[in-house]
Amino acid sequence: MSKQPGKQKQQASAHELSRQLTEAYLKDACAAREEGRYVAYTTAVSPVELFVAHDVIPVYPENHAAACLTKRMGTELSLAMEKKGYTSHLCAYARSDLGYRITGRSPRGGIPDPAFLLACNAQCFTLTKWFEVLSRKYQAPFFVFDTPQWIRDPGARKEIIRYCVRQLRELVAALERLTGKRYDYDRLAEVMACSQEASLLYRRFLDMAAYKPSPISIFDALINMAIIVYLRGTPQAVNYYQTLCAEVQSKADQGIGAVENEQFRLYWENLPIWFKFRDHFNLLKAYGANILTSLYVHAWSYEFDTTKDPLETLAENYCSVFSNRTLEDRAKMALDLFQRYSLNGSLMFVNRSCKAVSFAVYALKEIITEKTGTPALIFESDMGDPRFYSETQIRTRIEAFLETLQRRKAERD
Amino acid sequence: MKPKALSRLIEIANDPYGCLAELREKKRIIGSTLADVPEELIHAAGLHPFLILGTNNPLRHSSALLPDNACSLARSNLELVIGYQAAFFDGFVLAQVCDTTQHLCDIWKRKFPDHYFENFLAPRQVARASACAWYAEECRRMRSALERYTGQKITDEALWESFRLYNENRALLRRLYAIKQQAPGLMTNREFFDMVKACFCMDKAEHNRLLQEVVDWAERDKARFADQQGYFKVIMAGIVVEPPIIYDMIDQIKGNIIADTLCTASRYIYHDIELGSDPAEALADRHLCKPLFSPINADPERIYSDLLALYREAGAEAIFYCHIKYCESQDYDLPDIRARMREQGIPFLELETEYQTTRLSQMRTRVQAFCESMIKRRGIKR
Repeated sequence: MSKQPGKQKQQASAHELSRQLTEAYLKDACAAREEGRYVAYTTAVSPVELFVAHDVIPVYPENHAAACLTKRMGTELSLAMEKKGYTSHLCAYARSDLGYRITGRSPRGGIPDPAFLLACNAQCFTLTKWFEVLSRKYQAPFFVFDTPQWIRDPGARKEIIRYCVRQLRELVAALERLTGKRYDYDRLAEVMACSQEASLLYRRFLDMAAYKPSPISIFDALINMAIIVYLRGTPQAVNYYQTLCAEVQSKADQGIGAVENEQFRLYWENLPIWFKFRDHFNLLKAYGANILTSLYVHAWSYEFDTTKDPLETLAENYCSVFSNRTLEDRAKMALDLFQRYSLNGSLMFVNRSCKAVSFAVYALKEIITEKTGTPALIFESDMGDPRFYSETQIRTRIEAFLETLQRRKAERD
Repeated sequence: MKPKALSRLIEIANDPYGCLAELREKKRIIGSTLADVPEELIHAAGLHPFLILGTNNPLRHSSALLPDNACSLARSNLELVIGYQAAFFDGFVLAQVCDTTQHLCDIWKRKFPDHYFENFLAPRQVARASACAWYAEECRRMRSALERYTGQKITDEALWESFRLYNENRALLRRLYAIKQQAPGLMTNREFFDMVKACFCMDKAEHNRLLQEVVDWAERDKARFADQQGYFKVIMAGIVVEPPIIYDMIDQIKGNIIADTLCTASRYIYHDIELGSDPAEALADRHLCKPLFSPINADPERIYSDLLALYREAGAEAIFYCHIKYCESQDYDLPDIRARMREQGIPFLELETEYQTTRLSQMRTRVQAFCESMIKRRGIKR
């Protein structure tokens, strides 16, 4: 991202700013090749700061896939991929992306082809396999940043960091080979400072859900996380989250809730069902229920220590993301959210698309309900493919769950 | 006449928990899962390493712990330890190789809070120098963890001794595989792969002893069974072949498996540990130089280029690919592998299986039909 928005645009609302930044980012990425710069595909949780500091444009097939799924293109794109022999039970992001590669169908004109691919498996193993397919297709070099599970043994953690720092040095060398340019660590320090500031602001924004009533819902978090995902490490991201925090703080100060007459403050486990965003928000709103948070949206609230070797703090943050933690740690993180945000129930989505998150759901539910005594609903579906979303069944179950919450509240009152 | 040692190995492979019940009285048993746990470390610690290879019996418990889109190897491994053999194991060292196995470790540990439990965090990239260093480091961590568990030091001498024993085992299995390749009538695919399977659960020295008897017999009799007439040479690709009746189906159509990419065969038996350097580094060197067939490669084309090279070097006539339903790694690889094999005109048959598969007659028909087309295509005389 080389272009800065003009001065007059800094006065724009967060929503407008997001639109402008996204447009400029995509334009920049599409023009990169012609301008002699490199586009690298990467995963949403990855040390993208190393790309930004080296003027390599990071592009996220996941983000593009999420846009396709939100526009209800999941089935169409998946069918195209299934015709090529892939199965319908792969990750919906991957299905949608591979379908896009076959059909060229996209809600926003597509994304540029990669010159390099980086997959960080702290997020999931699926991404590595999906990127392998893309690497074969584009004959582009592929780098796996392998992050062993962030197990609790402190000695093991120390060694994991050593291993990961060593890999990041290998990544730097690979980027130098790609661009023919020497790596600039001073520039990396600047990028890290921006990343740290934006991450703190992003966390501040998420933590405003602790207000009663909450000025945000998880749907706001999901919309506003886009910038921290793809503009991490840039001053534009810092500016954006400053604007956003100011707007949300103002709502909180005025006691404006995302849901009128907020009665229930809920936790969501997993990624969202992208094509049911609005429907879910409206259904819950009718009951005075608001989903405030999830571990997923917190995946980008990093805490970089800018006094450390940048590679070390990058390794620490990306290894310890929730999806790479043990079940005990995940439960602890979720329970912390329960306490800080005063949550009183959970909607736990077993997402057929996402094994990395979903396979922990049954055990997490057991732990959360046991420790908090709050009710939880588990339901199965797919985050992007309406063929696996049973409308009536899921709606009925959510309604029944909300009625249970109402009954419990009435008994308590 | 086939030696008794062969029958005994087959018996153990098909009922390891029944045949090896007495093991529990001699040593503590440490269960592990595919594919990268260095068993030699467990052995050198005076414990008995036992590779858990699931169950073909019905799932009753694991369905409540893992969704049905987890691969059946993971679900049936979990079922085996919870539902069928809970009392057999004293502890576990489980490898994490994908999202499913990572979660499996957490769920498993939660179900066995009183058992010794260790994750083995194998590298999920294998091409760079950092992978080798990490594997060695994990071996050192595991060595210390096992020492804490047993309260005994694992000496370097004990490790070299275990390495020698395992190398001997691998050498015997390789020798037997080579004889089988040349003398297809000597033993069936099922017999050979059952003998390999037995080594995952029984005492290694005893396995070597029985295997030596089988090798001696095979060396003696191989000339009588060297006629290749009517057989066709097959590569078996995949991770595991389950249920094992699939081998019987291939035997029935006279397919001679002459090479494979299985974790339960070639990946286990090829390449020895070089003695003499640092033990952890020796284990790491073996891990990274053994036939890769890894789900992750720096060169993404190796998913088919390795297979093509194997096919050509072995002079095979067909490839059977055993696809475990819901194995993500295979799900992503298969379309490109299939396309490349078609492009090269290589007869390629996919067998989608699950541990609890019930559609065996359908599979048998497919295998037979494939064989018929092979006969027509290559003019194989039966």
